[in-house]
Amino acid sequence: MLLREVAYAKPESLAEALEILAADDGARALAGGQTLINVMKARAGSPDALVDLNGLDELKGIELGADGTLELGAMTTYSEIIASSEARARPILGEVCAQIADVQVRNRGTIGGNACTNDPTNHLPPLLAALGARFTIAGADGERTVPADEFFLGVYLTAVGTGELLTRITIPAGRNDGFAAVTLGIEGTCIVSAAASLNGSARLALGCVDAVPVVLTPSSTDADAVRQAVRDASLDPPADVHASADYRRHLAEVLAVRAIEHAQRS
Amino acid sequence: MTTVAPERTEQAQETWKGQNVPRKEDRRLVQGQGVFVDDVKRHGMGYLHFVRSPYAHAHIASIDVSKAEEHPAVYGTLTGEEVAALTDPFFQISSAPGANVKDYALAVGKVRYVGEPIVAVVAETREAARDASELVEIEYEPLDAITDARHARDDGVPTIHEDAGGNLMWEGVYEWGDLDAAFAEADKVVKIDELHFHRFNSTPLECDGALVEYNRGVGQWTIHTNNQFPGFAAIMMGPAMRVGLDKLRFVTQDIGGGFGNKITSHPQLVACCLLARKLNRPVQWTEWRTDFHLSMSHGNERWFLETEVAVKSDGTLLGFRTKALDDAGAYLRYEPLGGVIWAQVTPGMYKWQHIRLEFTQVATNKAPVSPNRGYSRMQHLWFTERVIDIVAHELDLDPVEVRKRNYIKAEDMPYTTPNGCVYDSGDYAKMLDIALDLVDYRGLAGRRAEAAARGRLLGLGIGSTLDSGTNNFGQSRLINPELQFSGNNEVATVKLDIFGEIVVTLGTTPQGQSHETTAAQVVADILKCSIDDVHVRAGHDSYWNSHAGFSGTYASQFAVTGLGAVKGATEMLRDQILTLAGAVFGGVPPEALELADGGVRMRENHEAFLPFMACGAIINANNAGLPEDLDVTLNCRYVYRPPFEVPDVERKYGNLTLTYASQVHVAVIEVDPETGYYDIVDYAAVDDCGRRINPQIVEGQVMGATAQALGAATHEQFVYDEDGNLLTPNFYDYHVPHALDMPPLQTGYVESPSPFTSLGTKGMGEGGGAGIHAVCAAVQDALREHGGAVVWDSCNPYHRVWEMLNDPAKGARVQVTGVGSTEPAKSGGAGSAGPESGTDA
Amino acid sequence: MTTSAVPTERTISVTVNGTTYEREVEARKLLIHFIRDDLDLTGSHIGCDTGNCGACSVIVDGTLVKSCMMLAVQADGARVETVEGLAAGEELSKLQQAFTAHHALQCGYCTPGMLMSATALLRANPSPSDEEIKKALQGNICRCTGYWNIFEAVKAAAE
Repeated sequence: MLLREVAYAKPESLAEALEILAADDGARALAGGQTLINVMKARAGSPDALVDLNGLDELKGIELGADGTLELGAMTTYSEIIASSEARARPILGEVCAQIADVQVRNRGTIGGNACTNDPTNHLPPLLAALGARFTIAGADGERTVPADEFFLGVYLTAVGTGELLTRITIPAGRNDGFAAVTLGIEGTCIVSAAASLNGSARLALGCVDAVPVVLTPSSTDADAVRQAVRDASLDPPADVHASADYRRHLAEVLAVRAIEHAQRS
Repeated sequence: MTTVAPERTEQAQETWKGQNVPRKEDRRLVQGQGVFVDDVKRHGMGYLHFVRSPYAHAHIASIDVSKAEEHPAVYGTLTGEEVAALTDPFFQISSAPGANVKDYALAVGKVRYVGEPIVAVVAETREAARDASELVEIEYEPLDAITDARHARDDGVPTIHEDAGGNLMWEGVYEWGDLDAAFAEADKVVKIDELHFHRFNSTPLECDGALVEYNRGVGQWTIHTNNQFPGFAAIMMGPAMRVGLDKLRFVTQDIGGGFGNKITSHPQLVACCLLARKLNRPVQWTEWRTDFHLSMSHGNERWFLETEVAVKSDGTLLGFRTKALDDAGAYLRYEPLGGVIWAQVTPGMYKWQHIRLEFTQVATNKAPVSPNRGYSRMQHLWFTERVIDIVAHELDLDPVEVRKRNYIKAEDMPYTTPNGCVYDSGDYAKMLDIALDLVDYRGLAGRRAEAAARGRLLGLGIGSTLDSGTNNFGQSRLINPELQFSGNNEVATVKLDIFGEIVVTLGTTPQGQSHETTAAQVVADILKCSIDDVHVRAGHDSYWNSHAGFSGTYASQFAVTGLGAVKGATEMLRDQILTLAGAVFGGVPPEALELADGGVRMRENHEAFLPFMACGAIINANNAGLPEDLDVTLNCRYVYRPPFEVPDVERKYGNLTLTYASQVHVAVIEVDPETGYYDIVDYAAVDDCGRRINPQIVEGQVMGATAQALGAATHEQFVYDEDGNLLTPNFYDYHVPHALDMPPLQTGYVESPSPFTSLGTKGMGEGGGAGIHAVCAAVQDALREHGGAVVWDSCNPYHRVWEMLNDPAKGARVQVTGVGSTEPAKSGGAGSAGPESGTDA
Repeated sequence: MTTSAVPTERTISVTVNGTTYEREVEARKLLIHFIRDDLDLTGSHIGCDTGNCGACSVIVDGTLVKSCMMLAVQADGARVETVEGLAAGEELSKLQQAFTAHHALQCGYCTPGMLMSATALLRANPSPSDEEIKKALQGNICRCTGYWNIFEAVKAAAE
């Protein structure tokens, strides 16, 4: 409950933030704090310094391009996504954000923080993976953009390295998306989740079954084909107090089908 | 949410009792002006942090606090070695072998559960204490841990308390009636291999805490704390600390929920006391959520093994035998009282006469168990409800009919149970009818079909339960005949101050039960004044001398003990006011006077009126000329004592509780068979707690108990891995219900006054876990045509429901044998829909 | 080790319920501890250590947050509202009165946070539906009431 001593900086520009992060490899970005501060309370992780991104307007804002592409600043909160008329171009975003935790968390938690934490039970990594999102990372050498399968690397591990920051997430145009989850209590922590996108071919991403979202491209949207695609993935999900590996494997099949069905209805 | 009121006969309308008077507590609480223990501050206080064991079982090889002590902000530390030198082990309630357990404020020589406090560090700030605790160096020699009570007594298993010689803590056999005759008369015997009541608790939102000051001049501690049973804490702490009980002053004002879970904080309080004395400064301890989950008050986890039920073909229950195996965790703090308290409700709500229960309590390397809402009765009542449902299931009978056939009837009340407890009043069948009506039981078949069309399995389950209140502490002698406890008591004082102010003090420690309000209602009716004129002091303070040995708020008794004391004290005050007025009016007898309008007047002449203010002034400041023999102080202290005898220890027979409130709940659920997920789509709770002083407050308790039971039934569990690590140590993994999780709720009530209490009230509040019983029954009902699995665990999260759908035979393993009938024996763990049934998928 | 250029303490200026406080705080101090321990505003409570219970809920610059997941230094320059600011002198707010009228509290420990969440809801949405009320209170745990009376109280205050 009580944090270790930590230094704190609130940079006024992205450049300043990157500078501080580059100078101290014990420094960490503080986004919404809805995960990081809990990690620090438990003393499971104690950065030397926190670089508060909440003052950086460069990292905020949602832009809808003429081609339907959505660009979301990494520091956009879940509440802002839910309220945004631009984000409604891809309705699944607001729909899923509205299922995350509760209104207090949604008021502070950010899409960038959710992605960069990459907790296997987070809602957004599988969703962003299914949508084919691209992640723009800024560092001392400039910017680079990577697709989801190069962004999510492991539990709590993404392509954002020391001295770098995720600046924005780009979502291609599209609308036929779905999401299904079994959660701990209504709209609680995910036990297993599945996100689907039917723009062009079917794209499925499973959450909570591996270190990173498991992306599948079933041969068709047929329930049998979808289930087969999940089985072919030979999942080896974790077992914990909420689910056995078998149960997670089973839920993955069921939720994959439901996510596709949701996408078909949308 | 709707509420149904039954028809009732008209009774004399009193002004305050029976009304939904708004609560006196609310004004300060809605403004954040409550005083909870962490709100209390003292200049120069030190903040305490406990270093806790990372191992479930280990020898402590060495402890080095030197680096912590060198931290510039640290005031001092305390180790088990010091505790063992300064204190004696806590008194053990148990007879041998549990009697030999040595329990201290900090671990001495050994740690026995993950989270056990080993060293206390006190520093200038909270953060510094936490930082310095990381500088304490402890060397451990880990030992194997035992976490499954069923194996706690196997050969070769590690012994947790060497002084006890093994992991058995207490055992006793209870038997009444004639089991052999019952089983001979039975048409069928239903055998249930294993039932399991899981480990959880009520997780009050405020955790434990204390701020302890030591007055070295008089050798007295002032303990600001939210312990809800200071009488018990004092009895434990005084002898251990080698001081008289008057040296321990307990003070509390507002407590953020207790539910029984704040009874056994005495070890931590002793640590605070020793440090306050050692460091000569106030010591403040805040318990965080994880600390609480790791170390405090897990509810009794209990197995019911090898149960055999003797039944007639028509569903009449004759009796049962079972082996109850209770997992006490690493220390006995209030245990093994759980080993007898269940016997307050031995037959549940049913008429069976022949009962045998072998109770065994063992230690394991898990958090110590101590009372949790519904303490020990809930576990037993869950068992009886499971038995009813499983018997109905196996014999293909309607669970409603089986209950009605076997319920104790209203006309049988007061009813003496096989072990001599007396159920005072109640009409269980009527409550069941009301509950079924509220969920439109008649339309059930249609509802089931409609749900099936949506791919959902609908289930309806009944949970009936008792809330026995006002303990006879003499039952402790059934655990240990050497104990010198019996009866019960509670204290109240009521006085008129010099300006006529009516002031009430209580010995209780409310944690949301609205004592200030309900006490004021009782007082205002007797003194014929406005409830606004009655000032009930908030909280508890042993300096008020308004407490006795059993004072506190626990075990569903305030409406009887607390209000009984209030009534007694107020009647004493009333009589004194009448006597004083009589004297002041020149020798008028009390019968010619009456209380009215905030004063006392002559019945025949209302002009002759003495306001309370005058009474108070005369006695306190203007008493010359009063008759010498006038026995009036206007400061009345009353000790309520319920009418109990010491139970017969040999036969384990006698009345163990004074009142029996009851609840009948019905849950309607819909299961998603593809995932095991389920929703509660309809819910009814009907309660009877006798005379209701404040109906809204009663209903609030019923609703709260329902919500907690639903949480426990679906998600809340303290789960350990085999190394003794708690996998649900905080609210992230231990999911408690939130606003979205609540089903629609309908409530109803019946008022069957208790013939044994002065106000006709019955204690209520704990509830008895009816929600758990109802959800278990509903799950079993939903799965009836889909594998017919028997629900055998009190907690049924989605994964368990899914497992029951996929492997119905796993689990309870029920067998039905016909006795003395031509029916063939039926066996198999699952469905019994017909003679051909085996295990259906 | 910490870069010496980045400090571990800061002087902050926070306006709480209309009063501005200037204090030096460690960066690691949680906003809830600052409110309770440094400013002696003990109406906001702590019920957990993982950000799940909502007892610490306050409004910062018009936004409902859990103050156990913000650092005090992050509230520098901010306007904070706590339960102590809801009443106007002796007059309780509509919500506070409704909570009393509908028995929406028992022990009172969750109540300040619950009131802040309900206050934030009614400011943004003066006539919420039942579902909207439940969703708005999802982040506030209560163990005493079962929530049903709280829903009634918020509905009553909304009308």
